[in-house]
Amino acid sequence: MEAALNVSLSASAPHGDRHDLPGDLAMWFFILAELLVFGVFFLAYAFARTHNVELFNASQLELDRLSGAINTVLLITGSYFVVRAVDQIRHNHARACAHWLIAAMACGGAFLVLKLIEFSAKFEAGINMSTNTFFMFYLGLGFFHFMHVILGMVILGAVALKAWRGGYHAGAYSGVETGAAYWHMVDLVWIVLFPLIYILN
Amino acid sequence: MTAATFQWLALLTLTALTVGLAKAGVSSSTALILVLLATLIKGRIVIDRFMALQGVSGPWRWIVLGWLLLVLGLIAFAFQHA
Repeated sequence: MEAALNVSLSASAPHGDRHDLPGDLAMWFFILAELLVFGVFFLAYAFARTHNVELFNASQLELDRLSGAINTVLLITGSYFVVRAVDQIRHNHARACAHWLIAAMACGGAFLVLKLIEFSAKFEAGINMSTNTFFMFYLGLGFFHFMHVILGMVILGAVALKAWRGGYHAGAYSGVETGAAYWHMVDLVWIVLFPLIYILN
Repeated sequence: MTAATFQWLALLTLTALTVGLAKAGVSSSTALILVLLATLIKGRIVIDRFMALQGVSGPWRWIVLGWLLLVLGLIAFAFQHA
C-alpha cells in the first residue's frame, strides 16, 4: 500500500519536486542513441547545405510544405494523446488509456499515409536519392524517420493491448511511460526535421 | 482545460507561426532566428512536459535539452555561414 502510494505521489508530483525517470531506464539509453544518430544527420544536412545553398534552396521549393505541416500537427497531436493515455492509467482507467493510445496510433497511421503520398509524388516526378544531395537527405532522413514512426506504432500497439487486458494499473504503469517516452522522441525529432528540411532556406 | 491541452495548443500555434513565417517571406536571417526559436520552445515543451523530464533526478533532462540546444545552435551556425 505504501509502495503504491509512493508511486502515485511520484507520478503526480509537481514539476518543482525531484522524481524518478518515467519508464524503463534502458529505453532512455536507446532514446539517447537515437537522438545522437538523428543529430548527426541533421548537422550533416546543415553543413552539406553550406556548399550547395542554391541547389538546396531550389530543391526545397519542390517539397510539399503543406503535407509536412499536416504531418507535424499529426505527430504533435499523437504525442498529446499519449500524454492523455498516461494520465488515464495514473487514474486506474486502463480501457481509456488503451483508447488514447489507439488514437495516437491513428495519428501515426495518417502520418505514414501522407508521407507515402509525398514520397510517391517525388518518385513519379523522377526524383530519387541520387537526383542531388538535397533529395538524398530529404528521402534518406524522411525514410529513416518513417521507420521510427512504424516502430513507435508497434510499441504503442503492444502497450495498448496490455492496457486493454488489464496489464497496467495506477500502481504499475512503467510500461505505458516507456512506450510514451519513445513516441515523444519520434515527435521531438520531427519537430526539428520539419523546419530544417521544409522551411529554412 | 488541462495543462497538457494548453501545451498541445501552444505546439500547434508555434507550428502555424513557423509555416506562416515561411509564407510571409520574412528576410532569411530574421526567419532563421524566429523559426529556430519556435523550434526550441516546441522541443522544450515536449522534453519537459510530454516526456515529463522536468524535475527528474539526475542529468537526463539536461542531456536531452543539451542535445536540442546543440543541434539547433549548430544548425543556426551552419545557415548563418552558408
